[in-house]
Amino acid sequence: MDKSKKRRLIYRIAALAVVLLIAAAMFVIGRGHTVYFDNKMPENVGTEVNVPYKIEVVVAGKSVAKLKSGERGMADTMGQNFNMQLLVTKEKGEDPTRLQVGLTLPYSMDGIIINLPALLSGLDESAYLSEFVYVPSAEEMKDEEVITDDTDNQMNFEG
Amino acid sequence: MKNKSIGDYLRRFSVPIMFVIICLICAPISGLSPNYLINEIVTRIGRNAFLILSLLIPIMAGMGLNFSMTLGAMAGEIGLILVSDWQIVGIPGMILAMIVSIPISALLGLFCGKVLNMAKGREMITSYIISFFINGIYQLVVLYLMGPVIPIAHSTIKLPRGYGIRNTVSLLSMRQRLDNLIPLNIMGVKIPVATFIVIFLLCLVIIWFRKTKLGQDMRAVGQDMEVSKDAGIDVERTRIISMILSTVFAGIGMIIYLQNMGNIATYSSHSQIGMFCIAALLVGGASVDKASIGNVFLGIILFHTMFIVAPKAGTVITGDSMIGEYFRVFVSYAVITIALIMYETNKRKNKSKAGMQLALAQEQEEANG
Repeated sequence: MDKSKKRRLIYRIAALAVVLLIAAAMFVIGRGHTVYFDNKMPENVGTEVNVPYKIEVVVAGKSVAKLKSGERGMADTMGQNFNMQLLVTKEKGEDPTRLQVGLTLPYSMDGIIINLPALLSGLDESAYLSEFVYVPSAEEMKDEEVITDDTDNQMNFEG
Repeated sequence: MKNKSIGDYLRRFSVPIMFVIICLICAPISGLSPNYLINEIVTRIGRNAFLILSLLIPIMAGMGLNFSMTLGAMAGEIGLILVSDWQIVGIPGMILAMIVSIPISALLGLFCGKVLNMAKGREMITSYIISFFINGIYQLVVLYLMGPVIPIAHSTIKLPRGYGIRNTVSLLSMRQRLDNLIPLNIMGVKIPVATFIVIFLLCLVIIWFRKTKLGQDMRAVGQDMEVSKDAGIDVERTRIISMILSTVFAGIGMIIYLQNMGNIATYSSHSQIGMFCIAALLVGGASVDKASIGNVFLGIILFHTMFIVAPKAGTVITGDSMIGEYFRVFVSYAVITIALIMYETNKRKNKSKAGMQLALAQEQEEANG
């Protein structure tokens, strides 16, 4: 192989490597998650935790949920690092306390439930973080007729 | 170039002039506010320009209007379907979809280029039929192979029967992310700055490409294949490269188009895209053998202004919005038909002119001899 051909091959391999690296980076930084916030008593943790009167969740400067006791909110996020600000009002009429929380979200989960009272109580990750399993509704599971041709049924000249 | 009469110019620009007149008549009748109209046109420039620009390279190489740009559009859709299932969102999702679509587009462009080399002189009809053929394969892949062979995990994308893709795939997670990346609002008109930057970059690439050795070869091939061959240009390779580039750009353009729309009509998004892009380019004053970047933008403005105002004007005049719908579809096809007729007429005229000149030269030679 002469020099110019060798050089061209090296350039091509380098370009391919760069594209693959960009693709890998997109896989990591672009992974979308839906994060659900629960302000309710966590299940199966064995200990009692205090459920605050109200928690306001602020993500990227935007208030995404104002949760009273027993309520659930949600936010869409991108990437594995999730930062939020919690404005926790323990009892009605009290001033809220501001808390900055940073979490690493598991890559494999599309929907993630964060139990805020368990998180605030300092319990294990297994106590405050669980997977949200999406269950399609009956409407979504109805058989869908696929239309692949715009002229479908228009070329039938019988009757 | 020299001694062109007003009649020649009128004939050359008859289609854009006709569209300017249609738009000028329909716009006031439609009753749409100028602000709404400008907003819609700016959005549609961002949505369509990249796709239409992808048509320029095959025209440069003398392969006419690339009806097989649909192949690239299908590759772009496959990229978006996979990325949606992998839950990669936003701009990274778009970039990944482009990376996935590029090899598929390149392979389809290679195949198309090879077939078109076997059908020289009949490129447009061949590329049109190829798009139907590949559409069949696309349906096979999307309807039967996605699920059992190509893993698709999410029930929101997969058909309830367990394989195949739903009629509509939501792109909510990347809807208008590129358009809104750099937000700019001028007097109530939303400008998709980032999309315009991407389009501008493609324009620069096309301008630069024309000046490269390959670009010059393409223009030479477009003017005369035999002379180019004699000059040592690998004509077939040059034509294949032009098809690959066009298909790859069409794939990227389709991703930009669909991020603006916010969903994929899995089995129909691509089917009409070639037709409407070609019609827009022709409305801008392009012809089968000559097109410029200016034609692209003028075409989008005129064609889409007509698209926006015609149904409304139709409703006002006849009380039935469908009249306007029929009108715009009829005009799209009519424009393509007129362009093809004009191309054939000019080709025959030039041929007979050349024949007459040759006969005259022979007569003179005989008289002198």
